[in-house]
Order: sequence, then structure tokens, then C-alpha cells
Amino acid sequence: MQYPASIRIVRIPCTGKFDITYALRAFQKGADGVMVVGCKPHECAFETGNFRAEERVKLTKEILDELGIGGDRIEMFFMSAAEATKFVEASNIMFEKINKLGPNPLKASQGK
Amino acid sequence: MADKVKLGMIQLCGCSGCHMSLLDLHEKLLDVLPNLEIVYGPIVADVKEIPEGIDVFLIEGGIRNEHDKHLTEEIREKSKIVVAWGTCAAYGGIPALGNLYSTKNLLNEIYATGSVDNPDEIPEENVPKLLDRVYPVSHIIKVDYTVPGCPPKPEHNASLIMALLEGKEPNILPTKILCDECPRKKKGIHPKELKRTFEGIPDKELCLYEQGYTCLGMATRAGCGAMCPSVNVPCRGCYGKTDAVLDQGAAVANAFASTGDAVLKLSDKVGLFYRFSMADALIPKKVEKKK
Ligand code: SF4
Ligand code: SF4
Repeated sequence: MQYPASIRIVRIPCTGKFDITYALRAFQKGADGVMVVGCKPHECAFETGNFRAEERVKLTKEILDELGIGGDRIEMFFMSAAEATKFVEASNIMFEKINKLGPNPLKASQGK
Repeated sequence: MADKVKLGMIQLCGCSGCHMSLLDLHEKLLDVLPNLEIVYGPIVADVKEIPEGIDVFLIEGGIRNEHDKHLTEEIREKSKIVVAWGTCAAYGGIPALGNLYSTKNLLNEIYATGSVDNPDEIPEENVPKLLDRVYPVSHIIKVDYTVPGCPPKPEHNASLIMALLEGKEPNILPTKILCDECPRKKKGIHPKELKRTFEGIPDKELCLYEQGYTCLGMATRAGCGAMCPSVNVPCRGCYGKTDAVLDQGAAVANAFASTGDAVLKLSDKVGLFYRFSMADALIPKKVEKKK
């Protein structure tokens, strides 16, 4: 069982810690996509961490659209920490999707 | 104080408002002026060359064209202390909203519309070339101090200048967010709907954001004394971000995301979240599609 090698994992204690700055920072640094992976709905140890992240991801999509980077480049996935197969599946879905979208247009516009 | 402090001032991509705010020092000017010698300042005197050996240089406005960039570099070489003075110099300010459009579109909007006598003629000779976007001064040169504000409060100008005159480290900016100095009552809730500033009349006591107005106090540096919320107007973020965050717009967005669908329905979110700080954002301009 393997997830695509181009994925870099950034661990946060709860998706409730996910900050829109992190996503923008990733795209600024040249990431082609960002996936936010949180616990299943109603299974957050802090009750609403994953829902808060979901709201932030939805808004990040619109910000990325307005900035010409494209909101499709960020997605939220829900799974439990024990579901390795689900994580691999989600990674592959995201990987395929980003492959179709091509490289981060910010990177392309800077010629890097 | 034996020698007078040699002061330089310039307005680049700004509106001269920061210069005007100096006049708001009123009688404090009398303490300040005798100790200063303004050796360069296009707004007050026609000096063609920036002289050498300047002690303090106040730069108002961001960097929009090649000439601005050139001047900024020259100022750095010739000055001991350079201050990014006002929000445009610090974070781009209102002119940096132009970063959401390509230079070509901006020029077309101005020169190629029916409202000019010679449409489609974009002046190119004897005018400095525009850069691809507005840059904060600190992106071009090393800046010693930053004094945000659109324009900076007279108290901040006064403490900056007094400190520099006395050769002390200016320590003028609070590190907190505006909500901390705003007297309005907060309940710790998020609004279900967001309104335009002209819709309805806000309650005078309660937090404007919690009433559904797009107040940016939670992502803006304190210092102005909550001038706008004090008169029932939501903060638009003119003092820029605090030192604790990287990106003012993202800090606004984190808070506003909790309104759920309400924020998703707003148009021009980037223009709202980054109204005064687009040039200093992590992603400081709209990315143009290739071809
Ligand atoms: S959001 Fe605005 S009105 Fe509410 S406390 Fe903060 S500055 Fe004051
Ligand atoms: S309330 Fe906000 S917009 Fe108004 S002066 Fe203060 S920082 Fe600027």
C-alpha cells in the first residue's frame, strides 16, 4: 500500500488548527495542490475541529479562484486515523486530479 | 542637539495623505520643526537630486514603476534610517488592489476607453515603465521602521519623529489586534448573514462583526484607537496585520469562514480581506492565465 511519492505530509494536532495561511503558504512555495485530511464528521475529539476546517477549505477555494490559482487545487477529506486504505485512496484521487490540472500557475508565471 | 536632523520625504505610489498627516501634528510641529532640516521633499520644495548624508527618510507609497524602484534604491544608499511610512509603503495600501488586474488591463482601462480623446494610445515615451504589480517598500530595500496607517495617526508620527530626533529606538506600535482596543461588546458569536455597510443601522454598543458587518478588527493591528468602529463604521484594516500573522487576508478569512455560507456569498472576497495589504500578501497578485 503506497501513496504517491510527491505528497508531503504536514501534521497538525487537529484539523481545527488548519489555518488558511497554511494553504496560501503552500501555494506560494509552489505546491500544486493541498489536501486537508480530518476525522470523520461527528468524530472530532474537540467536536467541531473538522467542520471548522471544512468551512475554511470552502472559503480557501473561493480565494484561490479569485487569485487565479484555482479552487480545485484544495480539497477536504474525512477519515479516521485507522483507515490507511482510505487515505491512500484519497491521495490517489487528489494526485490524479492535480495531474489533470497541471502545475501551480503561480509557479508557472514565475518561470520556476 | 547640536546638528539638525536631516530629513528626506517622498511620495511614491501614494496619495500624499501621509505627508498631510504631518500637518495634523498641529502645535507639536513647533517642537519638531526647529530640530529638523528638510533636505529633500518634492511636496514642499523643488530639489532635483536626492542629497547625500540623509539621517531619516520617510517613504510614503508603494513601488509601482521603475522610477519608484530606482528612487527607493537611491534613498537607501543615501540615508541612515529609512521608514516605510503609512500603509501603502508598508503593505501596498489601496493602490495595490490593482494587483488583482494585469498591467495591460489597467492601462487599457485608463487609456483605451471612450472617455479619452485618443483612445488606444498608451503613452510609452518619457514615462517610467510600470512594474508587474505594486510592491511594499520592504520588498525592494531594507526598511528600518514601519509606521502603518492610512494615514498614520498624528500621535504615531509624533512619537516616531521625537524618538528619531532623540536618537532613541521608536517603539510606537501596539502588537495587539484592533478588537482588543475596541470598546464594543462581544458575545463570541459568528453572524449568520453578512451585510453591506449601508444596510440597516448598526447597534452602537455591540460588535459590528457579530451584527453581520464586515469589520476586519480581528485581523488588524491596534493603534488607531478603533476610530472607525467608534463611529459605527466597520474597520477596513488600514493598519495592516499584526506581527503574529503572515497574511492579513488569511487572518480575516479564518474568522469569516465561521459564518459558513454567509461569507461564501460575498463578492470580491480578496478585495475585502486584503483591502489595504494586497501587495504584502503571501500571494500578492492575481495569477494570469498563460496565453
Ligand atoms: S470586530 Fe470590529 S466592532 Fe467587533 S470588536 Fe473587533 S473591531 Fe470592534
Ligand atoms: S478602525 Fe481600521 S480602518 Fe479605521 S482607522 Fe482603525 S485600522 Fe484603519
